Order: sequence, then structure tokens, then C-alpha cells
Amino acid sequence: MFLSLIRKQITILLRSPSEMLILLFMPIVLITILSFALGALWEGENEVSKVELAIVQQDDEIQQLDQFLHEAKGSMNITSDMEKNLQQLLPISILLQQIEGNEEMKQFIHLTELQPEKLEDAKESGEYSAILEVPKDFTFNFLSSIYLQGEKPTFNVYLNESEKITSTIVQSILDYYQQQYSLVSSLAQNGVPMNMDALPKMEIASDTRTVDSQTEITSSTYYTFSMTVMFILYIASTLASQAFVEKYFHIFDRVLLARIHPLTYLLSIMTATIILAIVQVGLLFTFAHFVFHISFTQWELFVVMTLLLSIVVGGLAALLSSINYRTNSGEASNVFSNAFVSVFALVGGSYFNISSLSPWLAELGMWTPNGAALNGYLKIYQNATLMEIMPNIIHLAILAVLFTVLAVVLFPKRGGIV
Amino acid sequence: MIEVVNLTKKFKKVNAVDQVNFYIEPGEIVGLLGPNGAGKSTTITMLSTLIPPTEGDVFLNQKSIIKNPVSLRKILGVVPQEIALYGELTARENLKFFGNIHKMPKKKLEERIEIVLEQIGLQNESKKKVKHYSGGMKRRLNIGVALLHEPKYLIMDEPTVGIDPQSRNHILETVKRLNEEFHTAIIYTSHYMEEVEYIAKRIYIMDKGKIIASGTKDEIKSILSSENTILIKLEQPSKEFVHALLQEPMLSNVNVNEKEISFTVAKDVNFLPTLMTLSKNSGVRLKSFQVEEPSLEDVFLHLTGRALRN
Repeated sequence: MFLSLIRKQITILLRSPSEMLILLFMPIVLITILSFALGALWEGENEVSKVELAIVQQDDEIQQLDQFLHEAKGSMNITSDMEKNLQQLLPISILLQQIEGNEEMKQFIHLTELQPEKLEDAKESGEYSAILEVPKDFTFNFLSSIYLQGEKPTFNVYLNESEKITSTIVQSILDYYQQQYSLVSSLAQNGVPMNMDALPKMEIASDTRTVDSQTEITSSTYYTFSMTVMFILYIASTLASQAFVEKYFHIFDRVLLARIHPLTYLLSIMTATIILAIVQVGLLFTFAHFVFHISFTQWELFVVMTLLLSIVVGGLAALLSSINYRTNSGEASNVFSNAFVSVFALVGGSYFNISSLSPWLAELGMWTPNGAALNGYLKIYQNATLMEIMPNIIHLAILAVLFTVLAVVLFPKRGGIV
Repeated sequence: MIEVVNLTKKFKKVNAVDQVNFYIEPGEIVGLLGPNGAGKSTTITMLSTLIPPTEGDVFLNQKSIIKNPVSLRKILGVVPQEIALYGELTARENLKFFGNIHKMPKKKLEERIEIVLEQIGLQNESKKKVKHYSGGMKRRLNIGVALLHEPKYLIMDEPTVGIDPQSRNHILETVKRLNEEFHTAIIYTSHYMEEVEYIAKRIYIMDKGKIIASGTKDEIKSILSSENTILIKLEQPSKEFVHALLQEPMLSNVNVNEKEISFTVAKDVNFLPTLMTLSKNSGVRLKSFQVEEPSLEDVFLHLTGRALRN
């Protein structure tokens, strides 16, 4: 009986060419057009904008220097001159001085010092062209590597891969800094000026990563996800309209007279929507895979995200149906498909990356089904872990529960004329 | 037996249905006659347990169905005035869907689909999508869906609205056959008095939310038994003659349709000499003169002062 309700909903939709056109053909066309039309813009920035560089220090240079001096005293002779030299050689202080003390560089680079707890937020926000993370014990390891043949120091650089030119600038600065630092440290070590070519290369390794950890996002990738999460919303309004037609023509009365509980009927709308949403996502991703060679390596996480998004859309279909039934008109689903989907698409980043316009809007977009899912899909595509997409999962789960509860509360428990 | 007791439905301050009482025995056909807006649909929607009454109750074998709607729903078929079907599905798919939600066993459902298709005369069109059907075919399938689970009581709300005479006859014959062969009790609502007159044994006439007359056809017509309905045809229309008739105190319910005029007059009055005098004075020649049996339409007109289909 329940299966019959679902099968009927799906059959009716599949036999409606205009609906199929909107739900499947339109997103395919838009993905294709937007991928090619905006592809050039996505290949990299055409203009060099100011480099937003953030530095996160887990390290306390002075404390680390003291620790090094304390430990080094046992194995080498440290004079007071050498101690003074070492104070001038603190690596991060030199880097900051190099950037902030150079007028030309200040024109191109804006440096922000961040507290360690802000690192994750900064990575997610996409506000920075690069983030330099100086780990704990960096200064100590650095000094040890020079004087005591100790462990090689490493700091992490997170580059925003969507800003290729500015990222390259940061990389060049770091290379230059590396060379400069090697020179200075060698001079300090030996107390005499030396030819730079003859200097030993300073052993600072920088582990460079992209902000979200990694796979490059192309226009076709972005629009595959953004159009999919946008067009999935139309399934909700379509099924809700379909449900209202059943009330309008008293088919719902027949369903009730067949002793089907109203909430069973509502649940059938929700389930049919979930199935159709999963199929739609599956078809669009398959298209993108074969046409744009988009790979879905973390397929388990894609499945989780798709399932959650589909449940939210199912809840939305149920909610719109309830409002339609309650107001005895199909306006709720019409207004949703004609206005709300566009607003959700804008705020959720389906047209363009909204965070470049306003971080506040981007945050708001995370509370739209499409925004939360788009962000989640992009993260998974860039090899995020389950924990990293947990905020997206939580947002979607909250939306699913909210829509479903509202739908159940609002749905009338009898049929008939009003 | 289904009994409707003091059934009332108020929408805001309007009494759509006001203290309605009626009953239907197993196996009989009852007609609910009334103009559009009389409250027939609201009454049968309450009777179908789809909306609760503001006051009153409906009893199935003396048990309230307002409190326990499932007992009635099991044995009730409803044919709504609207075409409550899926246009994108075929007739067979529609029947299968509604049979499935009635939880009919698969084999039994297949058998019933064949029987119902035969009853409504759509065996050869069963694989066509309903959206491609004519109005009459849709109406027939609309009835077929209600018959699928072999209901003991069938409620039909204006089942012949907007269809051609041939389909209308087919539906009326189907209704009669259902009652005669399967003893299905039927509540038939319509504003077509000739339909109700043709198929119903007992009739309730509704107007403005109230039952204004009830009984068998003869009992209702006996309301007008002391009067005759006279139909005259003129050679040409005459306002002067009509005016003279309207002034005549012996006549009532004067209805004018160009050259045709009908009115009622007491049976014991010989009105013919007066009529001849009036026509002579107005310079009008009478073409024909006919004494008619009163119809339900005449009764409605007599009771409300309005025609049924106004």
C-alpha cells in the first residue's frame, strides 16, 4: 500500500515531460554552459589582488630560544656575543620584519596575525591567500638543526588554490626568505661575510598545502555540484504541487476513505521525493563524471552527503505540501520554486562563491539545504575527512528534522472540502 | 442502515447545512435533490467522514461514525463531483492504484478490475491514459474506482455533470444495474430532477442547507395534488396577455418562456372560460392548451419560489 503511493508519485512525475525537462535537462544544460562560459575565470585570477597573508604562531620564539640556550650549553660554548646574534636570528621575527618593514612589499601583502584557535575557521573562510602556520618548537628545532644537527624544522603553508597568482607570490616570498635566512644565519654562525652561493642551504622545509586540502576545483566541478544542489530543490516544489492537485481533485479524499492515515500519505510524499532526489543527483553526477571527468573518489562521503540532502529535500516537499493543504492553495510550492529557490541558490553559492561577496552571507548560506550540501560536496571533492564535513552534516540534519516536524504539525488530519 | 441526525455544518457564520435528517436502508436508492449551493456536497462530505459536523451525528447500524469512521469507510464508496483520477495513468493503472491502497489481495484485485471495467464499459480503452479520455469516459472511470472494493453503500455526488446525453444514460443505467444486481445502496445527489426522479425510490429535496421535502416521488408530488399545471402555447408573444395572467388571483407559479406559458391552478377551478376571455381581450390566439402532471421541479418551485437550475 505504501509502496503503491510512492510508485504512483514517481510514475506521474516520470510521465510529465515538462517536469523532467526542469529537473534533469536544465541542470545538465546549465552545468555545461556555465562550465565553458566561466571556465576561463576559474582557471586563475587575471588580476593580481592584494595578498592576504595570515600567520598563526603556535611557537613562542623567546621561550624557545631560552630552551635552546639551556640545552646547547652542555655541548657547545655559547658566548654572550653569540647569544646576542641568536636573538637577532629568530626566524619568524625576521620574516615578519621582512614583510612589514618593506614598503614595496606592504603594498602587495597584508599580514594578519591569528590566534592558533582561529586556524580552522581561517582555512574554511577562504579569506586568505595563504596561511603560514608556525608549529610548536619550530624555533628550537631550527636552532638545533643549525648548531646541533638536530631535527629539521617545518612550518605549514596553506595556499588558497583558487588564487593562483597570489599563492605564487607567497611561495616566492618564502623562497626568498629561505635564502636570505640561510645567508644571515651562516654569517652569524661564522662571524664573517661569505659568498651567498657558497652558503649551506638552510634546512627549512615548508609543507605547502591548499586551504581545503587539495584537489583543484574547476568551473565544471563547481557548477556540477552547485547546479545539482540547486535543481534538487525543484523536486520538493514539484512533488508538493502534485500533492496539492490530489487534494484539489479530491483524490486525497479517496486515499483517506481507503483508510490510509494522513501522515502515511505525507510520509509517502517525503519518501518519493527522497528517492527522486537520489536518482537526480546520481544521474547528474554520472553525467559530470563521463563528460567532465569529475571523479568521486571518496564515494562513501558523497553517498552520505547525498542521502542527507535528499532527506532535507524530502522534508521540504512534505512541508510545502502541508502548507498547500493548510492554505488550500498551491501557492506555497509556486512561491518556493519561483522565488525561494533563486534566493537559496544565491545565498547558498550556486551561482558563484558567495564568500567572495560576503562572509556573513556565506555563513547564512550554510543554513540553506543547497548551501550546506554544496560546501560539503566541495570539501569531499578536496579529500576532506568525515570530521571535516561534520558541520555540513549537522546543518543538514537540523534542517531535515525541522522541515519534517513542521510538516507533520501542519498537515491536516482530515480531507474534504473547506 | 445509515441515519443522519440533526447534521449541521457552520462555516464561520454561515450554516451550510442546517439540522439535516435522513436515512438510507441497505439496497435502496435515495435521491438528494437541490440547486447548486444547497448544501448537498457538504452533507455527503460529512456523511463520508471526511469533515466533522459542527453538530449532529451519523449512525451506521446505530453506531456513531463520527467517533469511529473506519467502520463506514470499509463499506463505503464515494464518487466525488470532481474527476478524482490521475490523468497521467491509464484506467487500469488508476484502478490498480486505488485497489492497492484499499489493501485488496492481488488476485482479487485483478478480477475486480476486469469486472469493473466491464461494468463501466471501458474494457477496450483501459490502456489509454485518462487525460486522453472524453468527459463521459472519465466520469465512468470515476464511478468505477468507487466500485472496486464492492461497497455496500455508494455516495454519488453529481456524477453526470458536464457530459453528453449518451454517457449520462450509460451512467444512469449502470447505477440502476448496480442497485438491482448487487443491492448496493446508493445516495445520489443531483440538481437534475429528471435523473433523481428516474432512479431514486425516495427523495430528499434540499435548499439553503435544509431538507424542505422528503418522501417517495408520489408523496412529494402530492404536495401539489390539489393543483394542476397548465401549459399553453401562443401564436405570438404578448406582454399584455402575460400581464393579465399575472393579475389573475386564481393562478400561481406563472412561468413565461416567450410563446410558452405555464402556471398552476386549483384542480376544482374551471379556468378555461377565463383563459379564453383573457386571450380575446389581449388579442392573442392560443395555439395549444395542456394539463400537465406536476414534476419535482414544480414542487421545488412551489416550495421555494425558485427554479431548481437557477
